[in-house]
Amino acid sequence: MGTARYIVRRLIFSAFLIIGVSIILFAMINAIGNPIEILLAERPGITDEIIESITQYYGLGGSVTDRYFTWLGAIIRFDFGTSIIYNLPVSEMLLTYGLETLKIQIPAILIALLVSVLISVLAATRQYSRIDFGVIAGAMVGHSLPGFLLGILLILLFSYWLGVLPSYGAYSTRNLLMDSMVIDGLWHMVLPVAMLAFFNTATLTLLLRASLVDVLRQDFITAARASGLPERRVVFGHALRNAFIPVLTYLGILFGLMLGTAPVTETVFTWPGLGALYIMAIQQLDYPLIMGATMIITFMLVTATLLTDIAYVIIDPRIRLA
Amino acid sequence: MAAAQPLLEVRDLKVHFFTREGVVRAVDGVDYSVNRAETLGIVGESGSGKTVSSLAMLRLVPPPARTVAGQILFDGEDLLTRTPKQMAALRGRHISMIFQNPATSLNPIYSIGAQLTEILTWHEKASRRDAEARAIELLGLVGISDPATRLRQYPHELSGGMRQRIGIARALLCNPSLVLADEPTTALDVTIQAQILELLAELQARFRMSMVLVTHDMGVVARMATRITVMYAGRVCETADAATIFNAPQHPYTRALLESMPRIDHSYAGPARRVLPSIPGRPPNLLNPPSGCRFHDRCPEAQAECRCLLPVETAVAPGHTVSCLRRGSPGIAA
Repeated sequence: MGTARYIVRRLIFSAFLIIGVSIILFAMINAIGNPIEILLAERPGITDEIIESITQYYGLGGSVTDRYFTWLGAIIRFDFGTSIIYNLPVSEMLLTYGLETLKIQIPAILIALLVSVLISVLAATRQYSRIDFGVIAGAMVGHSLPGFLLGILLILLFSYWLGVLPSYGAYSTRNLLMDSMVIDGLWHMVLPVAMLAFFNTATLTLLLRASLVDVLRQDFITAARASGLPERRVVFGHALRNAFIPVLTYLGILFGLMLGTAPVTETVFTWPGLGALYIMAIQQLDYPLIMGATMIITFMLVTATLLTDIAYVIIDPRIRLA
Repeated sequence: MAAAQPLLEVRDLKVHFFTREGVVRAVDGVDYSVNRAETLGIVGESGSGKTVSSLAMLRLVPPPARTVAGQILFDGEDLLTRTPKQMAALRGRHISMIFQNPATSLNPIYSIGAQLTEILTWHEKASRRDAEARAIELLGLVGISDPATRLRQYPHELSGGMRQRIGIARALLCNPSLVLADEPTTALDVTIQAQILELLAELQARFRMSMVLVTHDMGVVARMATRITVMYAGRVCETADAATIFNAPQHPYTRALLESMPRIDHSYAGPARRVLPSIPGRPPNLLNPPSGCRFHDRCPEAQAECRCLLPVETAVAPGHTVSCLRRGSPGIAA
């Protein structure tokens, strides 16, 4: 009863949040200046008629508010206009590139989650041991390592020296591995997923280990042990779930921003993903693409935040639904 | 009766903390025993090694502490030689513990029911339904109204006194023969304290279980304990039945402790006021304990020999042991 009302309230709040972002985005993109003038700057032979027809083509006539509502009405129908640079429907591009990004991000986050749980338990249950210090040091180095460096090292080792994994792209251009789209796709995913998973693991381990060390010191853990529960149950059942509470927020952000947070990986491995496309769109001032990608990333982040808040209510009964 | 073997016998127990600064001798050669169906009160100031020694009974001393020597005979068997698996099977089932702070000793994210039934389903392979019935029965026994509803509640929804009652119910789930109660009332309001003590005494008599009641409060042991062990700086000063400790204490520390208790028939205000006596000095740093008798630098009766000889606990009367050179205990050079 309380939960349902809470979720509805949060949904309404989320809708306002997205509209708020859309207003700010629209205002800022307009503040850059007239796109037609920027696009056609210093090109010879541009007449007023040409400017007029391009303005009409992109629907840039009329007042700012009129244009905002036209745009808002269109994006609700998942119509983000046409890319100026690629001349393709932006919605189609977001879908294609977005899915490619999810293909490497989701496995990377899930693998990182699993690995960091195992490593954190290993370290936290042996606090201040050599294993613990090793894990802290490793996670610190991993967390601070420049992204491209690991990517290049992976390519060097597995593609150049060993020659067992592809160094670029999502699929082979000529012969598919074992003549299968699936196997060939998975084969191409290995390195980018490994790179993303590595960085996520490092950060998650730092957070989770610290949280777990803290929880393992609590009285209720000693009490659970004093009740004769086996250590495995004490650690995984009683400690880990508590330790996850502070990590949940980070996990939510990780999922929420996943479309935009892999540009380095996508660039290093020439992966046709949204993160790299987004950076490119900004560099080339591809207005519809910038706006479309921003709205999609906003939508993902707001949704993930909403799910995180709901997850908090499920995992921690102390959270009051006010 | 005298020939009956005590349920728990602790011999020369030593628990040391291995810190960066050095070895802290939190429990340094402690002996005591608990007979069947009796309550042993262990009294001492903060830092006298009370809590650590009860955790040592369960072999749960937290690192950097380690039990370095001694024997813990439970039912005649040394717990320190048991395998971890045998030890786990004992915890919660034959020996259980009631913790000091009910606010932190229950898992905040599991319901009361989940926490209680988990122990039963684990130890006794009870079905969910049986475990729930048993949990409801025990919650009723510890004086919780509407136990079936409480099972579905979470610790934060209950008051401190109620949570401590649940802590007690948890300790008694499997009918243990020994319950270790570590300052079970310290974190509670005074009015609730009395209720909890009454409940513990009632349950102890009802189930004829043995109890080790660890406290710094002489008033608590006065009403609860059959026998009392007084600890100071990780060592036992004196052990005797409760009446003897209060009426004829031998050890200077026990005497000082009793004298520093406020009395209701004394006035501590007004022109004819008395000053509440206190023990001069501070509890020693166990990283560097005083030589000889640990109490010598605060003891009104200390002599030169107290500074270099460590007294050995000796019987001064049947069932009454004291470790004080001035009471005839032999000393060993230390």
